[in-house]
Amino acid sequence: MSFTHLNVTSAFSAHYGVSWPEILVQAALADGADALAITDRDGLYGSIKHLKACIKHGIDPILGVDLAVLEPATEQPNPHTHPAPLHVSGRITILAKGHSQGNGYKALCKLITAAHQPQTLTGVAKGHVGIMLNELKTHALDANGEPQLAILLGPNSNVGQATAHRNYTHARNLLHAWRAQLGAETLYVEIVTHLNTPGQRLSTSHAIRMLRCAQTLNITPVLTNAVRYADPDGAATADVLDSARALSSLETLHDIQPNGQGWLKTTTEMHNLAQELSRDATNPALATTLLRNTAALADWARLDPIQDTGWSIPVVPEAHIIGITGDPNTELANRAEAGITRLLPDQANDPVLRHRLGEELATITDLGFATYFLTVAEVSDMITKMGIRSAARGSGASSLVNYLTGISQVNPLAHDLLFERFLSRDRKTLPDIDIDVESARRHDIYQHIFTRFGKERVSLMSMQNGYRARGAVRDAGTALGMEETDIDSIAKQLWRFSAATFRQALEEKPELAPFAQRLGTEKQLDLLVDLTERLDRLPRHISMHPCGVILSDNTLLDRTPVQPSGINLPMSQYDKHDMDPMGLIKLDILGVRMQSAISHTLSEIQRIHPNAQAVATAGGHLNKHSGQIPSYISPNGTIDLSLVPLDDEPTYNLIQSTHTLGCFQIESPGQRELIGKLAPTEFNDLIIDISLFRPGPMKSNMVAPYLEHRHGFAPEKYPHRNLAPALAETHGVTVFHEQVLRIFSIMTGCTLAKADVYRRLLGSRSEPEVEAFFRAAAHDRQYSLEVIDEVWGTLAAFGSFGFCKAHGAAFAVPTYHSAWLKAHHPEAFLAGIWEHDPGMYPKRLLVAEARRMGIAILPLDINRSDASYRVEKLDGLLPPARMPVVPRAVGAALPGRFGIRLALRGIRGVSEREITRVLAGQPYASIADVRDRSGLSRTSLNNFAALGAFDSLQAKAGRGNRADLMEHLRGRTRKPIPQRYRPLPGQLALPLGDLDISMMQVGAPQTPLDEVVRTELDLLSVDVSAHLMQSYAPLLATLGVSHAEDLLAMRNGTEVLVAGVRVATQTPPMRGGRRVVFISVDDGTGCVDATFFHEAQQRCSPLLFSTRLLLIHGLTRRTGPRGISLQALAAWDLSEKSVLPAPGYLSDPTRTRNIEFGASSTAPKIETGMSLAELMAAEDLDARGHLGA
Amino acid sequence: MGIFTQSIEVDCTPAGVPLRMRWQGREYRLAAEPVRWFQRRNWWNEELRAERGRGPGLVDYEVWQLQVKLAGVGPLRTFEVSRQVETGRWRMIRIYDAYQESA
Repeated sequence: MSFTHLNVTSAFSAHYGVSWPEILVQAALADGADALAITDRDGLYGSIKHLKACIKHGIDPILGVDLAVLEPATEQPNPHTHPAPLHVSGRITILAKGHSQGNGYKALCKLITAAHQPQTLTGVAKGHVGIMLNELKTHALDANGEPQLAILLGPNSNVGQATAHRNYTHARNLLHAWRAQLGAETLYVEIVTHLNTPGQRLSTSHAIRMLRCAQTLNITPVLTNAVRYADPDGAATADVLDSARALSSLETLHDIQPNGQGWLKTTTEMHNLAQELSRDATNPALATTLLRNTAALADWARLDPIQDTGWSIPVVPEAHIIGITGDPNTELANRAEAGITRLLPDQANDPVLRHRLGEELATITDLGFATYFLTVAEVSDMITKMGIRSAARGSGASSLVNYLTGISQVNPLAHDLLFERFLSRDRKTLPDIDIDVESARRHDIYQHIFTRFGKERVSLMSMQNGYRARGAVRDAGTALGMEETDIDSIAKQLWRFSAATFRQALEEKPELAPFAQRLGTEKQLDLLVDLTERLDRLPRHISMHPCGVILSDNTLLDRTPVQPSGINLPMSQYDKHDMDPMGLIKLDILGVRMQSAISHTLSEIQRIHPNAQAVATAGGHLNKHSGQIPSYISPNGTIDLSLVPLDDEPTYNLIQSTHTLGCFQIESPGQRELIGKLAPTEFNDLIIDISLFRPGPMKSNMVAPYLEHRHGFAPEKYPHRNLAPALAETHGVTVFHEQVLRIFSIMTGCTLAKADVYRRLLGSRSEPEVEAFFRAAAHDRQYSLEVIDEVWGTLAAFGSFGFCKAHGAAFAVPTYHSAWLKAHHPEAFLAGIWEHDPGMYPKRLLVAEARRMGIAILPLDINRSDASYRVEKLDGLLPPARMPVVPRAVGAALPGRFGIRLALRGIRGVSEREITRVLAGQPYASIADVRDRSGLSRTSLNNFAALGAFDSLQAKAGRGNRADLMEHLRGRTRKPIPQRYRPLPGQLALPLGDLDISMMQVGAPQTPLDEVVRTELDLLSVDVSAHLMQSYAPLLATLGVSHAEDLLAMRNGTEVLVAGVRVATQTPPMRGGRRVVFISVDDGTGCVDATFFHEAQQRCSPLLFSTRLLLIHGLTRRTGPRGISLQALAAWDLSEKSVLPAPGYLSDPTRTRNIEFGASSTAPKIETGMSLAELMAAEDLDARGHLGA
Repeated sequence: MGIFTQSIEVDCTPAGVPLRMRWQGREYRLAAEPVRWFQRRNWWNEELRAERGRGPGLVDYEVWQLQVKLAGVGPLRTFEVSRQVETGRWRMIRIYDAYQESA
């Protein structure tokens, strides 16, 4: 009979387990096992993956956990002050009873949730995840005293530790205490031998001492191998994890596993171990007893996934919770009807709309998802009522029901979106509906959902964070005891590749060359590479998922363990892969900074222009002919963006100009290049633009044919005239999933729903079957072989890419809105962008953009600055009119009337409390007044002075300059006046004049501009007074460096030098292995996007990822009518004067040249099928944006 | 007591338990049940590589403590022997001083 392992930790035991659940199940299966347990440390983190693997391979799953046991410290230092702190007495294994209608699983979930509470029920702080013995009892036994959990006391339990130290009496007393609490029926003694040196922990003799203890107290012994890895190879990885857990080198590690025997041993080996124990215990019957006990416990714990865990049965909130009393299908239909009245009153009898709505509702009814839609609608409604901007993203925009119930803002009929892409009878899983909300309000929304649905029905979703290259190399280096500075310098050179390919990367990547040369000469480095590769992807810790919220009925906490999250709301131990299997409904509520930025923009517009007339005048919104105020502006000046027409000419002018920094989705160098070529003139162009700018289309070179056909350079071609209607909008090029569905349907006669099933199989192992079907069905419908071949070629290539048009449409809405705001209300828009920082660029680049937009940046001012960035009306004479580089809407306010005041929150090191108090105290009459009432710390006071926040007070008093004041403040250490002498709020300070200023020493030289700029960069991260590059201007002039703004006028292939501050670095994964590095630098006149191909990377390897100020030598490369980039040949660190080339470099015959210019300058080919947001996140460009992380 | 790395020959049962050993041209027979354990190695000091997929034998090695008598009749002696994972060859790693053992 096969042996069943009952103690197995998987890779999901962070810093402990080594092997993935699937691998463990496969190993067990290979040995003929018919059941396998998973007992991860502290939770069920790997359990659902285990269930999945077990179901797939047809063996019985067993679920359990490895938990710490807490007990009060024995000696109480001071009973009067605190309750006795808890300490860990040991770790135990707990298994859930199977075939118990879920009672065992439920008890396990609840137990784990209890173990993660920061306090015990009696209010004692735990300080460690774990469970008290009395708590354990309440979970292990049901109301009738029947065990629902099995408690296994192994070598790490307090009993096991006592026997390890040969404290036999103590061990027996401890076991007796366990039995007294839990009863003999619940308890097992877990016998483990890792065949360690005789006498030591985990040796056979240790196991025999445990056996004797169990026999004395009549507790059933079972045999396990305390598994941490599937095979012996994993042992070294476990050593490194032991080291990482203890933050200690292997050499100095106390808690290292004694040897490498904790693997999933075969039945034969486990039987041999039983025999060996039997022999050493001189008890011939022992082996049989042990194995029989183990098998019996395994049988007790075998789970039926469906009966016990509710496998794959979706559970939605109870009807009464979402406020419905009748049939949910009727309710949904009624709400859709109400939506027609509200949103599309003119189309109420439109047969197309009626037919579509009928189809959608019938599908939803058949699938039984009405309650799900009502739930999402309820959440969406709740968000709207909170006054928070929201928008559905993804394929959810394909549904008319979603539009009519207010979940989505896109009318699918207007954009020709197919419901079948979102939901069909051929797919049983719940669809994903993602809602984008203002990032700044996301946590408020979470709180509201918990309140609205009840905390027993809601939980946050978690995510597993695995080792990536940098973290892996750091922990591997620590394990080997390497110098921290050495590890650090290596880690910093690792740039976006998985740890698993470290050795390969060393051979290929020029920036790792110095390190690669050290291999073989320094003993530990090869080990470092090997250990780094071993750690690859292993989960390190769990954290709150950036957007997932789980909604269920009131049994949710019976079906998932939860633990505290970073924001104090409970978080499920299950991640996104576990949702469908566990029937958990997840809503993705993504915080999108752009939504917050738009929200700030709109409120600034309304604040500055208090009525509709003022808004319309300032924004150039008045009707050209009639002079009427458009209907999207309400009388109080609020703009309702959802009512703004999508055909605004100034908006498309701005987009075509490629001055789109700050605009959603279209601000990256690649996108600016693409919109320059594409020149969007209508909303559908934006949808296509966003859909084209993705890995797949880029890779398969769909962009060039599309552009050629669009601009009429080449005639449009269709494989067959029947396909023309499906492909016309993209000029014959297949871009959208929706088009693939239509092609399938047209050529094979299948339904669109079926077509979506086929589409999903493209690129999978079942693709040959899809091809066979397609060819046969198309042939039957009289398509010629040439047509079939050509179309299939496109479809097969489509497998890995393509984009859901609904997704593109949903994305294009904020893109359009942000461009609209930038064109009509540039000051308010920039204030919004600075306030919420939604994009990929550092804030300082948008300061440069403000200059190009002709917008004044108003310095910090103690009396005028607010916590947020504010638009401010400029007084006095207008500066001479000068056309800004960035176009503005015709008729909108000219530049020079409004500026943006810098915000107090932008200053580094100033606390939120200080800001609150400064604001409460405004206005301040004098420096002395600031000192007395603002509550600014000494450091902040000095920083405010250095940034010129007191300049206006000083100007009023008319003495000294900024340097004088800074010196004066540095010299004085007067404390602020005590609380009781402070003026009451509203009380005016005595008009004593500014004593500080009148007593101040004056005469210091004016602070030089470059020092001011440096201070601004240090404290604000932006260069306000002048561009950072300005101080390099003389040097650059002697070198003959060109400005970014001049490049556009140059011929293709002109050899130039450019210089600037790095603002972005991108390395898209390349097909064929050759990486391209894109570096964008800003020189104050604009951005230069430089491309470093393989040879240039070799030449510039130390500069690629770390140098901030760059001088780049390269050739201009025209990318479109409005686009030019640079192919880099060489680069230097501008701040290292000694290495810079001499003046006249461009005519130096020995300079770097590229004979084969153009040969390698093909468009980047990107490999993976990630979404744009994911791609950007992977590139670290999006750490602050679209995924809302 | 001394530490050695000399080659020896060991005959085992089908289950892999040693029965007899030959060392320095003489044959020893087991006089008691052999004791087996897995001894940890500080591989990070001893090895240059620890690549994934290397298999067993990196973190520990198998040690058998054998109590033997020369040709089954001599004085009781205690040896520690080890089997190398890669080659399957045995080597002597420790010989307990016969004097001390009998004293």
